[in-house]
Amino acid sequence: MATLRLDNVTKRFGNVTALKDVSLEIRDGEFFAVLGPPGAGKTTLLRTIVGLERPESGDVYADDERITDVYPGDRDIAIMFQNLALYPDKTVFGNLAFPLKQRKLPKDEIKERVQKTAAVLHVEHLLERKPGKLSGGERQRVALGRALVRDPRAFLFDEPLSALDALLRLEMRAELKRLQRDLGRTLVYVTHDQVEAMSMPDRVAVLREGVVQQVDTPENVYHRPVNRFVATVVGSPPMNFIPCTVGTRNGALHLKHDLFEVAVTAHGLALGESLAEGSECLLGVRPEDVRVAAAGDDAFGATVYTSEPLGGETVVDLQVGRTLVKALAPPSVRVTQDAQVEIAVDAARLHVFTSEGETVLSAAGEPIFSVRATA
Amino acid sequence: MAEIRLENLTKRFGPLVAVDDLDLTMPDGSFVALLGPSGCGKTTTMNMISGLERPTSGEIYFDDQPISRVDPGRRNVGFVFQNYAIFTHMRVYDNLAFGLRVRKPKPSSEELDREVRRVAEIVGLTGALDRNAGRLSVNDMQKVALGRSMIVNPAIFLLDEPFSNLDAAFRAYMRAELKRIQDEVGQTMVYVTHDQVEAMSMADHIAVMNLGVLQQYGTPAEIYDSPSNRFVAGFVGSTQMNFLPPSVADVRPPANGATHVSVGVRPENLRIVAADSADAKLRAKVTLVEPLGAKDVVHLSLEGHEVRVIGTPGQRPRIGENVGVLADMDRVHFFDDETGEAVR
Repeated sequence: MATLRLDNVTKRFGNVTALKDVSLEIRDGEFFAVLGPPGAGKTTLLRTIVGLERPESGDVYADDERITDVYPGDRDIAIMFQNLALYPDKTVFGNLAFPLKQRKLPKDEIKERVQKTAAVLHVEHLLERKPGKLSGGERQRVALGRALVRDPRAFLFDEPLSALDALLRLEMRAELKRLQRDLGRTLVYVTHDQVEAMSMPDRVAVLREGVVQQVDTPENVYHRPVNRFVATVVGSPPMNFIPCTVGTRNGALHLKHDLFEVAVTAHGLALGESLAEGSECLLGVRPEDVRVAAAGDDAFGATVYTSEPLGGETVVDLQVGRTLVKALAPPSVRVTQDAQVEIAVDAARLHVFTSEGETVLSAAGEPIFSVRATA
Repeated sequence: MAEIRLENLTKRFGPLVAVDDLDLTMPDGSFVALLGPSGCGKTTTMNMISGLERPTSGEIYFDDQPISRVDPGRRNVGFVFQNYAIFTHMRVYDNLAFGLRVRKPKPSSEELDREVRRVAEIVGLTGALDRNAGRLSVNDMQKVALGRSMIVNPAIFLLDEPFSNLDAAFRAYMRAELKRIQDEVGQTMVYVTHDQVEAMSMADHIAVMNLGVLQQYGTPAEIYDSPSNRFVAGFVGSTQMNFLPPSVADVRPPANGATHVSVGVRPENLRIVAADSADAKLRAKVTLVEPLGAKDVVHLSLEGHEVRVIGTPGQRPRIGENVGVLADMDRVHFFDDETGEAVR
């Protein structure tokens, strides 16, 4: 069992700062994801925790013990890389037993622990096979098993599913989540896949160019992103951003667009602190919160740019003024290219960002906005 | 513009049959996706169309002209690969102009400029024409690659997983753009992908392949709503179709000979209701919830069988909770357990 902590960790490679003053606290037994695009510093973060990289400044703690200078092998933290690196000449048993043999555990105990791990991962029947004779999913499980068998205080996984094909990834996603819950061990999981980062962890840290943007539950990252970058890295298709101008009417703030206006109610007034009248801002709206073929005084006109049927749902690409907006519609909604349609947005799910991309306000279910089409 | 016809097309690499007796007609101006997992033969098929591979047997026709013996350079085919084939030391402008400058007779400089600007506008590079291509983001590099092949106005456009190195947000953006571009330029476009979302969203025809063999060829709606076999049914759809014994799903399979069949039902065609709901015939226990933001994937245990259901985040059940399940019976599929073929 373990908590992990990074205190003001900075790591440079020559001119590149891979991690900038990163502070994180990972709780005991937590499934903690680190999400970011390639080059964000995710892998460096893991390598720093396990001890394969030494930070220029800052410290790493496990269970409040400073481990910055502890040799990687003595940290009792297992890391699993994207490339599975199984020994091709050893059987599954041999692969699983290897980390234990290195520790010079007695033979009986090795056997028992390998059997137990193999049972957890459903590979008991494969113990005599060599990796070359396994399917992709089986190899993945064995690689997992090699991390599990050591029974370390924490696990670090670096994009473990990215080499798998789509179906296997779906299956392993659920399986990993279940496994972590059953084992109750601290797991730090690095990924660039927002679906994995949304669906599996208890909390997620979003990383950009070595800087932590937000550490929160997947729910809050999705509904209360701290900035435009975070808003864009979760959600598929990503959030739409519609440029608006800040205005006032009867003393109250509102956002103006050629086609509609968004009024802000009393407890959304914090808006005024970040946005001056006349300034530009961005209205953020997720595709599932855009309703196509709407009616009512909040519905405004858009032109169908194209539509993308996905089977279970359809992405409708709309031209709203000069902005392209994606809407997620049920498959029953049929549109033709270049047709005029009426659309509406869910006021309780809107976000407002400064034009620099900092979040001013997220409705997140609260009735702080109301939308009205311009007559 | 050209129709592409593949007749009994076969490609062997030693003992491996990469493409097995493939018949496929891609109409003039269509957007065809070759979809399948790695090793299904989609790239080999594309390479035979482009001329990078010679078929072992069979023939390829462009508008009824056999072309398998025509030199690749003379097939009038444009390519875009996963790895952007661009000149990183040149400006974007010169990258786009390259294909026209090497052409004989050489176009006038006004004509060349007009074409470069027209294509830059289509692919969204107008503001970047004077920039060095090597300094662009990977997203913009792929736009340059697309523009480079577009400018020479090939009869046929071949794209091999062109977006797989791009980030998710840009991929979503390019999907709509490419669909729009294809609609405007009207060339026959063949698009190789393992991503069913790309195939479904952009193509007007999808050829699903597995282990070198064509599984189904049809419109996205046909592929999704009437999969011809269990492979296609399981491969297409962002959360995989559930397969259950008829007794567990409480449905009667069509009586037409097949002795053992499975019921296939997509996660979005199942609905979670209260355990004591009168109209829910199925009872299950919640084992896992995967929140995806806009929706949840809820895993249920139904008489020991794992079932995935699309759920609403606002009505999220607890793990361990007993729930009722309703199936949309109009959208249930049956597959022969022995052959995998759809039973209708």
